[in-house]
Amino acid sequence: MNIYLLQIINGVGIGMLYFLLAVGLSIVFGLLRFVNFAHGAFYLLGAYFCYQMTRWGMSFWLALVVVPLAVGAIGWLTEKLMLRHVYATAHEFHIVITVGLALAIQELVILQWGPLGDNVPVPDLLQGVVMWGSFIYPKYRLFVIGFTSILAVVLWYVLEGTRLGSAVRAGSESTEMVSLLGINVFRIFSLVFALGAATAALAGVLAAPIRGAEPFMGIEALGIAFVVVVVGGMGSFSGALLGGLLIGIVQSVMSTLWPEGARLMIYIAMASVLLLRPHGLLGRKE
Amino acid sequence: MKKNTHLFLALAVVLIMPLLMNSGSLASEVLIFGLAAMGCNLLLGFTGLLSFGQGIFFGLGSYTIALTLTRWPLPMPVALVLAMVMGGLGAAIVGWIAIRQKGTYFVMLTLAFAQMFYFIAYTATGLTGGDNGLLDIPRPSITVFGQTLWPLVTPWQFYGFVAVVFMVAFWLLLKVSRSTFGRTLLAVRDNEERAGAIGYNLKILKLQAFIISGVVTGLAGALHAMMTGIAPLSNAEYHTSEMILVMTVIGGTGNLFASVLGSAFYLLLADWLSTLWPRWLLLLGLVLIAVSLWMQRGLWGLGEKLWAAVGRKRDRASSQSRAPGEKA
Amino acid sequence: MSSPILLEAVGIEKYYGKFAALGGVNLKVRANTVHSVIGPNGAGKTTLFHMLTGTKSVSAGRILFDGYDVTHEPDHRRVQRGIARSFQVTSLFQSLSVRENLRLAAQGIAPAMAMNCWHPPEGRRSCAETVANVLSKLGLESFATVPAGNLSHGQQRRLEVGMALAARPKAIFLDEPTSGMGIDDLDEMKRFIKSLRADHTVVLIEHNMNIVMDISDTVTVMQQGKVLAEGLPHEIRSNDSVRAAYLGNMITGGKA
Repeated sequence: MNIYLLQIINGVGIGMLYFLLAVGLSIVFGLLRFVNFAHGAFYLLGAYFCYQMTRWGMSFWLALVVVPLAVGAIGWLTEKLMLRHVYATAHEFHIVITVGLALAIQELVILQWGPLGDNVPVPDLLQGVVMWGSFIYPKYRLFVIGFTSILAVVLWYVLEGTRLGSAVRAGSESTEMVSLLGINVFRIFSLVFALGAATAALAGVLAAPIRGAEPFMGIEALGIAFVVVVVGGMGSFSGALLGGLLIGIVQSVMSTLWPEGARLMIYIAMASVLLLRPHGLLGRKE
Repeated sequence: MKKNTHLFLALAVVLIMPLLMNSGSLASEVLIFGLAAMGCNLLLGFTGLLSFGQGIFFGLGSYTIALTLTRWPLPMPVALVLAMVMGGLGAAIVGWIAIRQKGTYFVMLTLAFAQMFYFIAYTATGLTGGDNGLLDIPRPSITVFGQTLWPLVTPWQFYGFVAVVFMVAFWLLLKVSRSTFGRTLLAVRDNEERAGAIGYNLKILKLQAFIISGVVTGLAGALHAMMTGIAPLSNAEYHTSEMILVMTVIGGTGNLFASVLGSAFYLLLADWLSTLWPRWLLLLGLVLIAVSLWMQRGLWGLGEKLWAAVGRKRDRASSQSRAPGEKA
Repeated sequence: MSSPILLEAVGIEKYYGKFAALGGVNLKVRANTVHSVIGPNGAGKTTLFHMLTGTKSVSAGRILFDGYDVTHEPDHRRVQRGIARSFQVTSLFQSLSVRENLRLAAQGIAPAMAMNCWHPPEGRRSCAETVANVLSKLGLESFATVPAGNLSHGQQRRLEVGMALAARPKAIFLDEPTSGMGIDDLDEMKRFIKSLRADHTVVLIEHNMNIVMDISDTVTVMQQGKVLAEGLPHEIRSNDSVRAAYLGNMITGGKA
């Protein structure tokens, strides 16, 4: 099979995961004006909770549903109990508190599961490859692409079609106006933050069978999420999608041409966007 | 007298550490990272710039001193100055570009630059030794006309040297923080738009702050390399920048001596706990959360509150009656 | 009687995307006069100020000040030319003392001194005379050491004006200096602004028609990004199109 085609499909798969990882960070920033440095930690929790569930003999499919809900609840509590109290302070404390949280979560993970990584088995249904003439591709990765695409549509519908979504979008423009309309802004904050945590965790669950669960994957994920969100546009759903796919495909293709350069290129892209078009490809101009 | 309080506090720390601590290396590290945290504080506490790029300047300092002491052997003072210059140069480049954006975008830019520098350091193995770093960095004693004036062989001997450099740097930074420039930076931190509106060129002010920060951080990196004998890749890693920021915030922003408190707290805690409990970083994470929620002025702020509480107790305990209208 | 033109704006346009905040504004301000700019909300008054003081850049047009073309100069450069402004929404250095706020504003006209990393702002660098001067003019001497954030609203508005004064400008731009002030403060402020005319040129945005009609030498009326009318206060008061723009009642001198 053509190696470039293979890499592009790989890139799309990775890109969709990146989208799922980044979309929560982006929307949280759009609404709360909050850069969540603990976002990668939610991804980490997703992967490890999934691992733990498979260790307990439960099905991957169950984990796909339960883990995002669990991590979403953790996110909800985090916002309500901790983050809400720093909104009024200098923005450095937004960053510091989430850095502290990320650190604490990472250490708790190591405490519970040890510093080495663990493998997460691919669910039985999705093991093996698909063969279509000369097209050979792992079933699981195809599943990831399909599943995240459906999820993207669902998320899009939630944001554009529901009242909650309208409130979130309106809130991104002006939280004052939204609260004047009688909507409890703080409850929306918690919900949105929980959603961000849940989607990050879901990305972690989906990624776990591919790359395993490993304590430092949170930091790595955070870096990628930042790049995707910056390139796509902070606060933009479609930006997260476009950014995710772009970064995923570029990374994948580059890995055959110049592996080390791949990461460098990504951060050059990030810096360039920040300098030339800080609101990103699809973000709204401030 | 108040003017020199901070200077005396710094001197006190410098003199007390050899009496209370066993490890000269650890004591040196406290001062070295105290310098780095002060450099970070100049940007964060004084100018309001949250930079994740301090690792770049620290790394530049380490690499420069390594190269200047091993490959083209230069006298140590010259090498040290060169390391500071490189730190300042790096900061000038990063700063010049990064300050084009504000707020979160600025922070992200420093992050991106830190990552880019890491990969340059990783791939330019000829200059940086890549993954291995640069090794066998000597620690030349201070000599005059071939006579050894000041041997820097043992950790405590080196500490003496670091202590002198630290005190000089602290005194200079104190002067900067109290200068017209330092006061203007505080205005920039408080209300950037107004500072521009009343006539100040924000770009130049921020750039100068960056350069001074880079020089100090480069100095710290160089001293660290001399102390450990290596210039590792990890100095340019995200973790180093994060660690420096953490020390600055825990110590307390807006006050130079507080940065030394932050550095001491972090390193002493690490040293004490890491052997007892490998997961001590968990505590650090919790401390960061606590500082963000309840102790935004850091350890220094905590100290101030305690001092004020003690003062109030003393006032109440004294039998003097208070004049009408005098506040407690 | 006509003093020379200090500030001239020709064909000023400002677009935010497709929205035309200013659609071609011409303005001439004469030295040592009080020139008021009035108009309904959204007329573009504050945007015009942003253009004239350099807070934001123009989309098109030219601005000439004191003989110099300052169109592309940023706000901090224009301060050295002799332009200073106050803001509609109070924008002080909240954590710094009143005195420090004024010192910074006074020093702003010689910003090179702010690069000095060695000497503290004492003695020559403290601009003590200017600061003391402004403090007494504003009646804020007893609050010199108070952090600006702890002042009352009226005091903060006074300090706002003081920040512009401390730059000893040729032209001082006041954006709704009396907004939110109580009746006692209002009269003080009115007298104060009128007294500025001797040493400065005052360009004023105001909603309080009492003040505008009382102290202005020239009134420019704006609407939807353009100049609707310009002239002496009594001319504007009797202008039909101006009345229509305001829907009648605000010109007759009632409180805004």
